[in-house]
Amino acid sequence: MKMRKVGSLVLILALLVSLVGCGGSTQNSDNNQAAPTPQQSEAANAKMQEMEDILMAQLQPLPETNTGDKIGILVITLTNPFWVGMKEAYEAAGQELGVEVEVMAAPTENDSKSQLETLQAMTAKDYKALIISPIEPFNLVPGIVQANNKGIKVVNLGPGVDTAAVANAGGKIDGRICVDFEEQGKLAAEYIIEKMGSEGGKVAIIQGIPGAGQSEGRTQGAKKAFESAPNVELVSIQPANWDRNTAYNTATNLIQAHPDLKGIFCCNDVMALAAADALEAAGQREGKIIFGVDFIGEAAEAMKSGKLDGSIAYSSTVYAKAAVLLALKTIQEQEVPETVFSPLAVVTKENIDQYEGWK
Amino acid sequence: MIHRLWTKTQDYASQVLLGLILVAAIIYLSMVSEHFLTWFNIRNILDQSTLLVIMGVGMTFVICTAGIDLSVGAVVALSGICMATAMHSGLAVGPAILLGLLAGTIIGLLNGLIISAFNINPFIVTLGTMSVTRGIALIMTGGIPIYGFSTAFTWWGSGHIGPINPPMLLALGIALAGAVVLNYTKLGSYALALGGNEEALHRSGVATKKNKVIIYGICGFTAALAGLVVTARLNTAEPLAGYMFELDAIAAVVLGGTDMKGGRGSISGTVIACLLLGVLRNGLTIMSIPSYYQQLAIGLIILIAVIISELRFRNTLNRLQEAN
Repeated sequence: MKMRKVGSLVLILALLVSLVGCGGSTQNSDNNQAAPTPQQSEAANAKMQEMEDILMAQLQPLPETNTGDKIGILVITLTNPFWVGMKEAYEAAGQELGVEVEVMAAPTENDSKSQLETLQAMTAKDYKALIISPIEPFNLVPGIVQANNKGIKVVNLGPGVDTAAVANAGGKIDGRICVDFEEQGKLAAEYIIEKMGSEGGKVAIIQGIPGAGQSEGRTQGAKKAFESAPNVELVSIQPANWDRNTAYNTATNLIQAHPDLKGIFCCNDVMALAAADALEAAGQREGKIIFGVDFIGEAAEAMKSGKLDGSIAYSSTVYAKAAVLLALKTIQEQEVPETVFSPLAVVTKENIDQYEGWK
Repeated sequence: MIHRLWTKTQDYASQVLLGLILVAAIIYLSMVSEHFLTWFNIRNILDQSTLLVIMGVGMTFVICTAGIDLSVGAVVALSGICMATAMHSGLAVGPAILLGLLAGTIIGLLNGLIISAFNINPFIVTLGTMSVTRGIALIMTGGIPIYGFSTAFTWWGSGHIGPINPPMLLALGIALAGAVVLNYTKLGSYALALGGNEEALHRSGVATKKNKVIIYGICGFTAALAGLVVTARLNTAEPLAGYMFELDAIAAVVLGGTDMKGGRGSISGTVIACLLLGVLRNGLTIMSIPSYYQQLAIGLIILIAVIISELRFRNTLNRLQEAN
């Protein structure tokens, strides 16, 4: 009887230790692996170089590299292919620049509390700087203040932290690098408008989580463009919470309500792919333009097969490298620009062959 | 005397076992990372566990009655939004907080009323109220977070009381109050008896329905209190706050040795379980374990602990039967 209890206890501990061990070793082997190098076309290389040049110009003078500094990175979630790509890009940038990077994430896209807890745990470690991408503008504020108090530099990448809220709580963001979300929405909407031609038509927007920065920014940008175009009618803006299944249902409902819909702009590719599937299933895909944002791998495939019309891309590789450089600049107490913007590219099914191996 | 002490220990074996696992986890984590056992980090863990402890106490009562409350996460959001809306429309901090707590308690009481009046399964009822509550939260805010409150309000989430903070004090207070009510009052005995044999309790003249309503009210109240802490801490009331909190709370309660089938429950077990979950989440992050493995590890630990607890309970039952 007693033996059994002791046995169980040993078992649970063994499991705990082995799990922790196996988790750790997997992570290490990830770090040691060279970044996967898919075949990159000349055209994609040239485009990436162009983007890198634009970004590096904003980061002059470049900081000292190969310092071996430890930089902690908190992304949104590794259940989204975009952030998985960013994780790989960060790790590649860490290797290239000679710094140690560790990438952590929240368990799911909605779990803002866990993300804060992860950040708070990270502030207990010996990082020189943290690069954070919050789930929503407020959830990481207490963790940022903790990092400030410990003298850890905080760089905000992508979705914005509410700077007023941080200042209110007695903290600060040391550097910010992002994509202009409104510009993304605007570029996508402009493509849809151009494709519809002079006769125009009805369009709709599928949002992410209402209130989330990327979602609101992209929606605003697209909305403004649609509303200022002649003959274009924006019939509906629906949230689908970045969720594939929700987006599928939302798109089905949209096409039910507006059978003459001509274009749908989705605030990310996952939702755009779901919308394309939904329209296909409803036998309504023909003659309708579906545009996403992020240019994930699946979207690239879908553009080649004609399932998706296009997406707004920026180079994760260059973006992550610029973020690490920005973090190094803050560690070395150099002046940094208020916001560093990543350049954007409009990828469509017409020009997709020029983006082979883009990352 | 020794015999009594032994049976007493047997009563608490679940909690002792869990406590041992907690200590083992702490020792292991402090060996593998120098960053784990610092006051800075311990304060993190305590601070992060407060929400779960506060909600877990209410949930312990509900689960004791063989019930469940899936609406607590949504109540966290709604009560925070009620407080935020009230303050932004000019109400003082104190009344605004009371209003939010009242809103949560009412939803709890409603849960209890529907469950006992129509004798419907609590899972279904609270699944419904979860969606209704979340819906109201989204409608009230239009999906956009409400932020920016006075320091008198944010003190409840991020103030300082010496080395600790108000949420820790709240959690401690709620846990102590919960333990006293569960172990030393009629309501507590009824809660446990409701889970054991509701019919017998009813026949012996106890107003089972009334007690059930009160117990769900308590759960709504603790969820609203968690709403106060999370809203004050983030200085923001979001309609999606508390997303999936119900699952964390249920996991902590069951991990703490409270029986889903009712009749057996322990507040101290819940508190230790909350701390264990807090330590594990924090420790796995400190060790830079990727989030996929964290979910796997925590899920497995909950499963194993519940299995052990169930085996132990069955053995005790067998022993009792032999003794009789």
